[in-house]
Amino acid sequence: MLGYILLIILFAPFLGAIGLIFIPNRQALQVRLVAALSAGICFVAAWIMFFAFDPVKGGYQFVQRYEWSKELGIAFYLGVDGVGVPLVLASAILLFAGIFISWHIKDRTKEFYIFLLILAAATIGVFMSLDLFFLYFFYEMSVIPMYLLLGVWGSHTKGYLAMTDPEGLKQRDSVGFIFNFASNSKEYAAMKLTLFLSAGAVVALMGILLIYKLSGLNTFDIVALKQQAHFEGPVGTLIWLLIFFGFASIAPIWPLHSWSPVGHAAAPAATSMLHAGVLMKLGHFSIIRICYEIMPDLTRQLMPIAAVLCIFSIIYGGLVAFYAKDTKYVIGYSSSSHMGYVFLGMAALDYISLSGAVLYMFAHALATGMLFAMAGWVYDQTHTRHIPDLGGLINRMPFVSGCFIVACMASIGMPGTVNFIAEVMILVGAWHKYPFQVFVAVVGIVLTMGYLFRMMRGLFYGPMDEHYAHAHDAVSMVDRFPLLLMIACSIGFFFFPFHFYEVVRAGVDPLIARITEVVPIAQNSGQLSAVSGQLAEGVQKALH
Amino acid sequence: MTFSLTLTPADLLLMLPELFLTLWLCVILTIDFSLPRFPKRNLAYLSVLGLAVVLANLIWFDRAGMTGTLFNHMFVVDRMAIFFKIFIVVATILVILASIDYVKRFKFFKGEYYFLVLMSALGMMFMASANDLLSIFITLEFSTFGFYVLVAYLRDDPASNEAGLKFFILGVFAAGLLAYGISLVYGETGKLVLSDIAAAPATPGLIIGYLLIFAALGFKIGAAPFHSWIPDTYHGAPTPVTAFLSIAPKGAAFAILLRLFFISLAAFKPAWVLLLVLASILSMTYGNIVAIAQKNIKRLLAYSGIAQIGNVLIGLAAGTKMGGDAILFYLLTYLFANLGAFAIVIAVGNLINSDEIEDYNGLNRRSPFLAFAMLVFLLSLAGVPPLAGFIGKLYIFIAAIKEGLYVLLIVGLINVVISMYYYLVVVKKMYINEPVDNSPLTVSAPMQAVIYASLAGTLALGIYPQPVIDWVVSATMMFSHIVAPATAVAPSTALPFGG
Repeated sequence: MLGYILLIILFAPFLGAIGLIFIPNRQALQVRLVAALSAGICFVAAWIMFFAFDPVKGGYQFVQRYEWSKELGIAFYLGVDGVGVPLVLASAILLFAGIFISWHIKDRTKEFYIFLLILAAATIGVFMSLDLFFLYFFYEMSVIPMYLLLGVWGSHTKGYLAMTDPEGLKQRDSVGFIFNFASNSKEYAAMKLTLFLSAGAVVALMGILLIYKLSGLNTFDIVALKQQAHFEGPVGTLIWLLIFFGFASIAPIWPLHSWSPVGHAAAPAATSMLHAGVLMKLGHFSIIRICYEIMPDLTRQLMPIAAVLCIFSIIYGGLVAFYAKDTKYVIGYSSSSHMGYVFLGMAALDYISLSGAVLYMFAHALATGMLFAMAGWVYDQTHTRHIPDLGGLINRMPFVSGCFIVACMASIGMPGTVNFIAEVMILVGAWHKYPFQVFVAVVGIVLTMGYLFRMMRGLFYGPMDEHYAHAHDAVSMVDRFPLLLMIACSIGFFFFPFHFYEVVRAGVDPLIARITEVVPIAQNSGQLSAVSGQLAEGVQKALH
Repeated sequence: MTFSLTLTPADLLLMLPELFLTLWLCVILTIDFSLPRFPKRNLAYLSVLGLAVVLANLIWFDRAGMTGTLFNHMFVVDRMAIFFKIFIVVATILVILASIDYVKRFKFFKGEYYFLVLMSALGMMFMASANDLLSIFITLEFSTFGFYVLVAYLRDDPASNEAGLKFFILGVFAAGLLAYGISLVYGETGKLVLSDIAAAPATPGLIIGYLLIFAALGFKIGAAPFHSWIPDTYHGAPTPVTAFLSIAPKGAAFAILLRLFFISLAAFKPAWVLLLVLASILSMTYGNIVAIAQKNIKRLLAYSGIAQIGNVLIGLAAGTKMGGDAILFYLLTYLFANLGAFAIVIAVGNLINSDEIEDYNGLNRRSPFLAFAMLVFLLSLAGVPPLAGFIGKLYIFIAAIKEGLYVLLIVGLINVVISMYYYLVVVKKMYINEPVDNSPLTVSAPMQAVIYASLAGTLALGIYPQPVIDWVVSATMMFSHIVAPATAVAPSTALPFGG
């Protein structure tokens, strides 16, 4: 049972999507319930996996391997390590919450849930693939549902360029100019996102194929490549750069980030959640999986690139978020700024900072998920995301306002949320190697505070426009549940991070040890390991 | 050289599929002429029945490992020939089923339509078995003959007439080139059988001869410098004929190209790799860039077809057995995706009487099934997992990178992104734009069968391709000792890379 847990997590959403095809479009409630059921199975299974993961044993666990094609050297090879576990869990939480967040979508409900489930399942697939082919397979598979979710159920980004060019027809950037889309339309956002991600994907694919060819092993198996292949010299550097920038474009690192805020802003709430929450982490995860695991020496030499670029990510994203007038733009740019922290944590190549980066990915998924969910709620009620138009909503929607404030606190990294732990770990871990970047990151935190407080004030405080007198709060359990779920996870892991931390360290330690060739100082206090190990053992026993 | 034209029954057995199809052609034509009240629709089902028998026969050949040659090696039956015959028969079945509604548009000669389609299929089945320069010429012309008529079948439509004329003039020109090329090669070597001419030394006459033959075959597959007939012909021809033209002759021509390059020209591999690389790059880039500007779905698919053929040529340029495998696999994925897409063009064209991309607006609201199926086929053409086209492209790229064709790999991958754009524009029209007319569209049963079959093929080849990979690997087994992969020694010394 436990051996197949990854298959359950991966295929529950896929089967749900297939099942939805056979439900007539009119029965919207049935559609929603089936989607919720399949996401619920995925959610429960992900928690079981999380607790059953044994950090003392480490390595890849719950491994499943099926030969897929001998000629091409491909196996359907699944397994999670300490880096994959939190991200699978985050995907499952956000998917489950996203199902409820989108409960009120009326237009083509069935198709919406089909694409949402495929998107989430493909994302989860990347996090558990131990075969380069399937990693790419799932990665590329997640792009197309994004296109449709944005294009069909998204909204035009009215606030963008509103001052000078209300129709968005005059001011176009390169993509809008070539393809003749108004630059504030959702079609434009969807097309830009898809083309950017596809371009990034083929660059990464080039790197993957070069690994396949030059390793001479005729296999895409990451574990085999890790043990037997060795890359160095100019060719190795080229491969490393292809993989890094191919995947960093989805992360997104400055200057490859420009698709992401536009995409976030156009997407419907649940899609933004999944997109900012987990899709962007596919980039970091894939870099860790491929660059760190297969090419440790090159990673040590070349990772300073990320340390430089992350400065721009943090500051640039933060500054633009400060001036953005559209709520989703603020959150979108804040996401791309915060992804700079993950790169900083990764670049420092330290046990603490990389653990912090992994933890930060999880924490950021929850915080951004909440922010997008509530920005979506406000938009649904007021039909605007233009911050200057809004105000005083706390009178109309106290519950949402309260949650929003908690989410802002989480995003800033206040103690009380898991983001705090993650942020501190990144900063502490990176301090000895990149003090300047840590300084920038701290400035970034101040910026984050600035723009989030500004947005909070703009939305919820001050005088309320009479237009919004009919705005509703989230009253029903269906609406409140996803928000409460994400808040509970964010706060819960602040108080009980022990098992989480052990799991992450179990994944990070061997990676860093291999790259820096330094043995970890003390694998934390033995007491915590013991507690965590007992927990895993208990869960495993209970299931047997 | 002695000619022996004694035929034993065992020899004739090798030709059983072709003989049966010839007989069936006569049956169809006789019924059409002698029973004027016989519904034309049933002729289509009768044709499909005959083809199903042929298909069963071919599958039996494949399972039984039936191989051999006839007529002094002019006609060969090996597993690759059987593969391509199955390919052609499946394509023909799907095309005939997809034609049933469309044929109502023809004012005359509804019965002959099926006869001509079957006749072309027969010609292409012979092409798959052609193993001699003469039989190549005869079978190629035989198969094209039916198409000359079919392309111009809409007699009152000037576009169809123009398409027919263009196709005919350029086709005859290509035939002339082919005949001239064959005469040069024969003059230099004195031999016609492909394996016999392999030993000949390279002389200027021989090289020109081969180039002319390649040009004629390039015309047939629509590779870039020889593609100029494609857009207008595809646009003007009746859509089911376009569908047929876009897939079956290309498959048959690749059977000949594979034999020609991998058997006759195996010794000259370094020379022709460059030629194929150039043709491939040109086809992919030209096809994809021009496709962006298209307003008509048939023209879009025509240009995308040119680009797809560029992809297939990558496999030929690799010049290894694996390249051959990849070509066979890719053509199969292309068969399902392309025929599926054309089936939808036919279905939509029958319902709204238009092939403009603009009129696909809001197809998702009018018929979710058609829009979803079109989405799957276009994404498969673009090469998105988990669809067949992705595996096909990856197979081709792996075959290319094993030979160190990095330039082709880079150009091919960039083209994947370019093609993504214009396929997504169609998706955008179908899913995002709102329809002008909201009335729902319904699809007839035979058309549904075609679409479901293509969907099943596209998904099955994408999700679990291993059985088909096994099949194509065994189908090209004969090349394994003729074309050797590049020795693995070179890169490890040239590149700073150690195990």
